Amino acid sequence: MTTPFLQIRGLRKTYDQVVAIDHVALDIKQGEFMTFLGPSGSGKSTTLYIVAGFQEPTEGQVLLNGKSLLDVAPNKRNIGMVFQRYTLFPHLTVGENVAFPLRVRRRPESEIKAKVEKMLELVHLADYRDRLPGQMSGGQQQRVAIARALAYDPPLLLMDEPLAALDKKLREEIQFELRRIHQETGVTILYVTHDQEEALRLSDRIAVFSQGRIEQVGTGEELYEHPSSRFVAGFIGNSNFLPVKVEQMGAGRARAIFPNGQAVEGDARAFAAGSEGTLMVRPEQMRIRPHATSAQGLAVTVRDMTYLGDSMHFAVQTPWEQELAVRMAVRDGQGLCIGSSAVLEWDSQHGHVFA
Amino acid sequence: MPTALSSVAVPARRRFRLSAQTRGIKLMLPVLLLLLVFFLVPVLTLLLRSIMEPTPGLQNYAELLGSQTYVRVFFNTFMVAGVVTLITLLVGFPTAWLLAILPPRWSRLLFAVLLLSMWTNLLARTYAWMVLLQQTGLVNRVLLGLGVIDQPLTLVNNLIGVTIGMTYIMLPFLVLPLHATLRAIDPSTLRAAAVCGASRWQSLRLVLLPLALPGIASGALMVFVMSLGYYVTPALLGGTSYMMLAELIAQLVQSLLNWGLAGAAAFVLLVVTLGLYAVQLRYLGAGRSGMGGR
Repeated sequence: MTTPFLQIRGLRKTYDQVVAIDHVALDIKQGEFMTFLGPSGSGKSTTLYIVAGFQEPTEGQVLLNGKSLLDVAPNKRNIGMVFQRYTLFPHLTVGENVAFPLRVRRRPESEIKAKVEKMLELVHLADYRDRLPGQMSGGQQQRVAIARALAYDPPLLLMDEPLAALDKKLREEIQFELRRIHQETGVTILYVTHDQEEALRLSDRIAVFSQGRIEQVGTGEELYEHPSSRFVAGFIGNSNFLPVKVEQMGAGRARAIFPNGQAVEGDARAFAAGSEGTLMVRPEQMRIRPHATSAQGLAVTVRDMTYLGDSMHFAVQTPWEQELAVRMAVRDGQGLCIGSSAVLEWDSQHGHVFA
Repeated sequence: MPTALSSVAVPARRRFRLSAQTRGIKLMLPVLLLLLVFFLVPVLTLLLRSIMEPTPGLQNYAELLGSQTYVRVFFNTFMVAGVVTLITLLVGFPTAWLLAILPPRWSRLLFAVLLLSMWTNLLARTYAWMVLLQQTGLVNRVLLGLGVIDQPLTLVNNLIGVTIGMTYIMLPFLVLPLHATLRAIDPSTLRAAAVCGASRWQSLRLVLLPLALPGIASGALMVFVMSLGYYVTPALLGGTSYMMLAELIAQLVQSLLNWGLAGAAAFVLLVVTLGLYAVQLRYLGAGRSGMGGR
């Protein structure tokens, strides 16, 4: 059993009485693209800043290759970092900015020159070497920041919402670049974002943060298909939440009833019988049929339907007057119209029961 | 009727711009007049007297630059101003930095202390330093009491006294503009420098100082120029052996009634000051400050 590349163990950070993060623990493999996803104030940036060395944890440990990072000063950690705002040195040219980490390490001039050339080629900015940061767009500045952060071949690259200040088109362009750079360099990346789409697009694995704790860690698919909590289900992708009362717990499955008394089954963790819960089903995993084809069908009324080209979007109303969203292929929606009564169905493994 | 037609022929936009321009000049007239009467006329009068009294010619300037004594006064003036500027910089930069990074509550307090001293009467502050620095003053007694020295130091009526007194007075004039420059620097720029591997010293030398240079230069120039013409503090805390230009001018006018020579001295000082200002504009005004993007 080899030791994991980066280990975050039992991190806790409090400011006065406020707990910023608690029990944050995570192992990261070498070469992995790991994203911290969560709303603002969920502790994802605090965790990143502790790894970077800008903040000290109240408790816990951070180990890189089995050695503690916490007693190492930020400038000795040899970690690369890209910040949310453009933090290029405004008085230095692009080339001098990329050369900066090599200069402070007193590398020979010939090596610096070759490395700057190589890094600027990596981010496709070779022609911009003599520009000043103020003369470049935000996206270009962030690419220079990435080149600067990778210039000294750090084993770990930290990115704190690096694309948050850019517009959508530019963001997607740089996300694509980032994937390519990650593949070309093989650097381990810790990436912080509040944008779930960005997290899904970039990451090997995602750690979902909520209220200072990690809710769930997994690949995008794992988080989407098997969310472990209502928070994760709501944060990643679109979901319908239906109120249920749990009647019976089996092996990883729960039997519950809807407010209208109808029975339903779904995946569930440990649950006390008789407790209130929520059943989550994704909009695209639901089907609307004119007539019931299975036992697990809910009588609904179609309230609205929207043609979206590749799919159709429906709004349906349950007997207890809750509105649900459903997405279906266009041809499956034929024969339905606004106001018609229908039956809503889904496979029981797509239903998840949460507290 | 014909006038109405011709005015239609003039493009409307141009007419508007012209009238706005003339109106602007009209609005500025009172200020221009004020500057003319209270600043330009006295300076020109002084210049005139320096070349007309006692007889027309440049003999005042010849005397000023030819005499050992007067050249010595010039040298003293520049040396004291230089030393004061240097020490003000050494004390002022950390102060301005502290003001920029302290939590608001503490920086407000520090600001208040700085401004309060600035608003206190200059003469009172200078006499206070005399009391503190004299042979039996607080500074000497504390140093004697701690056993740092055996003999009281001579801290007034010499270069030390002038430097201490002037540095204290000049500090706000450096700290205030420098603080504005430092506050405009994004703190994450310095974090980035640290992550890049720069030690504290390297961050200071390679990032903070270059970014602060415009503030340092304008603050230092302000202090230097003000020190060149300073009178009260050198007169009270400095001895006769370190006479500065302002003291010389005062003596020439008050005791010797030699307006010609005094005018020449004042004019030389003015030319030097304007020269320094031109240098600053040349190298820092249009220079590559890199702050354009902000």
